[in-house]
Amino acid sequence: MDVLSTNEIKHGDVVLEARGITKRYPGLVANDHVDFEVRAGEIHAILGENGAGKTTLMSILFGLVRPDEGEIYVFGKKVNFKSPLDAIKLGIGMVHQTRKLVAAHTVLENILLGHPKTGVILDFKKAAEEVARLCDRYEYKLNLNDKVWHLSEGEKQMVEILKALYRGARILILDEPTSSLAPPETKKLLETIQIMTRDELAIVPFITHKLPVVLSVSQRVTVLRRGKVVARLNTREATEQMLAREMVGREVMFNLERAQVERGKAVLEVQNLSVYDEKGMKAVKDVSFSVHEGEIFGIAGVSGNGQQPLAEALAGLRKAAEGRVLLDGSEITRLSSMERWKRGIGYIPSEQRAVGSIGDFSLVENILMSYYYDDEFCRRGVIDAKKIRARAEELVAEYGVATPSVDVLAKNLSGGNLQKLILARVLSRQPRLIIANLPTQGLDVGATEFVQNKLLEAKKAGAAVLLISEDLDEVLALSDRIAPMYEGRFMDILPGGEAEREIVGALMAGIRQKAAEQ
Amino acid sequence: MNIAGYKIKLEKKTSFSGLEAAALSVLAVVVALFLVGFIFLQAGVDPAKGYAEIFSYAFINSFGVPLTINRAIFLLLCTFAFILPMRAGLWNIGMAGQLYAGALAAFGVAYAFGARTNPDVPAGIVLPLMILAAMAGGGLMGLIPGFLKGKFNTNEIVVTMMLNFIAFWVTAHMIKEGGPFMGSGGEGEGFKLPPVLQPGLFLGMPFTIWFALGLTALLQFVFTKTRIGYEIRSFGASPAAARYAGVDPFKISVLVFVAGGVIAGLAGYHYFATVPGLFKIPKNYGDFGDLAFYGIICGLISQGNPLAAIPLAVLFGGLTSGGRFVQGKLQLGFGIDYAMLGVLMIILVAFQFFFRYRVVFKKEKEA
Repeated sequence: MDVLSTNEIKHGDVVLEARGITKRYPGLVANDHVDFEVRAGEIHAILGENGAGKTTLMSILFGLVRPDEGEIYVFGKKVNFKSPLDAIKLGIGMVHQTRKLVAAHTVLENILLGHPKTGVILDFKKAAEEVARLCDRYEYKLNLNDKVWHLSEGEKQMVEILKALYRGARILILDEPTSSLAPPETKKLLETIQIMTRDELAIVPFITHKLPVVLSVSQRVTVLRRGKVVARLNTREATEQMLAREMVGREVMFNLERAQVERGKAVLEVQNLSVYDEKGMKAVKDVSFSVHEGEIFGIAGVSGNGQQPLAEALAGLRKAAEGRVLLDGSEITRLSSMERWKRGIGYIPSEQRAVGSIGDFSLVENILMSYYYDDEFCRRGVIDAKKIRARAEELVAEYGVATPSVDVLAKNLSGGNLQKLILARVLSRQPRLIIANLPTQGLDVGATEFVQNKLLEAKKAGAAVLLISEDLDEVLALSDRIAPMYEGRFMDILPGGEAEREIVGALMAGIRQKAAEQ
Repeated sequence: MNIAGYKIKLEKKTSFSGLEAAALSVLAVVVALFLVGFIFLQAGVDPAKGYAEIFSYAFINSFGVPLTINRAIFLLLCTFAFILPMRAGLWNIGMAGQLYAGALAAFGVAYAFGARTNPDVPAGIVLPLMILAAMAGGGLMGLIPGFLKGKFNTNEIVVTMMLNFIAFWVTAHMIKEGGPFMGSGGEGEGFKLPPVLQPGLFLGMPFTIWFALGLTALLQFVFTKTRIGYEIRSFGASPAAARYAGVDPFKISVLVFVAGGVIAGLAGYHYFATVPGLFKIPKNYGDFGDLAFYGIICGLISQGNPLAAIPLAVLFGGLTSGGRFVQGKLQLGFGIDYAMLGVLMIILVAFQFFFRYRVVFKKEKEA
């Protein structure tokens, strides 16, 4: 089979169709009679908040989950997927949000891994030619002999797409394709998938936020809410406001209210800080900055450029190799994380489930994570169960954490609710400095709006906020000052109100010329 | 899975009550005893008779009951020595070494006061010192893996395991021929405590039962109500999250291993210095080290719950003594008692599965 053959598929043919897909889980209908179709040469985005049923639908279309009701047609034929293998054989490819590549192998080896055509003996030369042809056709600039761990996130994604194409995929399902990509890489990806549609490939991106992405490339969009299709429209008739309203079920304010707050004295001062990561590489290199009262200092960067080690070093979870850290004028470089909590540093970690909460603990005991060291809630080493319970109930109500009771285990909360809980726990300590590491990552539009507003409120109340984000729009919307971070260094520190999107985006990707030209 | 038109599904349970857990444990014991019945049948013994002998010896017979109680106290202490690190997500496999160390330290105090040869030592001073020494000895033995884990993240299973061997052979060196603690008979066992250092019985039980029961209440309180208990549990549930919340991993690691060692040291004191008929480190002291491993089983089955450990310790204490007895009395082949305990353990562990899942039968829809 020629991997590039396009015979028999005509532009506009319905290649994948789902009719009345219903999937029930105990206590919840994940998909409620969902209809969906995608045509050859079309990009048809599926939009929905977390918990809207996107993942279930995606899993059903790829054969990972079997629907309770409903039918799926591929190229007009009714199918009954028993496993993803059936889906792959029929030409459906899936690119997961988390990369599933072997880091120590080359691009080519990864593409060949598990390919049905590879027998006991690999014909690398022939395979390399075929893959190279695919690359040329879709304008991928990839060296097939590079080891995967050398590649950027965007390039890794290209490898995943190539892998699916080389297996003969005619329908590509992309799970959150633009998350963790720098703006220039996002642009490149969007160009690429548009080229691919010329070959009558059908592309189905699943997206939670980043509405501009949807608007810029797709022809049609289907919006899911609570398991149901609530809207299906042609993209050119859609606006961002409209899509957000359909997703959330109410109006969403896109223009965050950026109260002008008098900038106070410096709360956090970082002087020439260097930090090693767990591999022993210098991940933060000679970084200096300060964050003031009533200010949001935004660090914009693609994950893996040293933000995580920096945040951990400031929270006291990682040793500083060189440099000094001052809080309210006194040095805290060597203080334990406990001591830093007590002095008013509130850290919101990027890993909500692994670090920010304890899944097997109840909500009360999760709230206790920020209270157990406080003598008011723990007298002479004995926890005041009544008091902490009352506190937990207060916070759950105040932050609108949706839960039947505070005795529920944290692992049963959705991502948005869990983040609200973590935010409630940290912010209720009224920290002087808030370190928010990817606070809206993976959250839906409604929860993102909530989190961002809470950070703005904290700023208004006089806290210093260090915001670390991959989402350029978020950084631009919230920050008073912006530091694009690339390979462990701040490329610059720009005033928030005037920073131009393109310049910050380029700096995030390590491109400096543009900025220099200004 | 489909069987006879029914679809069998496993559903993950979101919650289960303590009562449910207890009922399942009892059911597990019944199933295990049923299975062991086949071993009895194979050996030509009526299972009902076999069990009657085991249980009547373990829980009714006037020779068997004290043995069961002594073992239950010992096992309960060993279980606590295991549970403390377990709740912090760490594995203490070194109860044997810690109890040898505790026993050696206790007898070391008696030796230092000349109790080996002089029957008139001041018991009011020596006896409490022996107990403290046992705790200190076990605690020091626990400090080693705790410190290494906290400081260098050394694998605590390997360290505690290896320390067991060291403590075993140090004990041999101390009590066997030529060793300082050698008994007067010179039969490869330690010296016997003089009568003044032999604590009397309380209602037929060694006074160490109060340690075991007191620790049950203390641990239950610590785990459920206190700050340090919360720190231990959160570290056990998620080390990364606990560290994030300000828990010091070094402190926790040292604390749980030292406390575990202290309790294991008490177990050593209990069996060698308070049980009538011993009052010495016996020749077969290694058997008690082996017995200590049942503390791991009790700890795992009780899921770290100190209260749940009591019935388990009594059960295993009774079955180890009753099993050995019935083997001799009914002239069964060697190892029947161990086979029974083995089956029981496997079934109890297998039943843990039902804590987590529920089996659902569904009539398959007509195709």
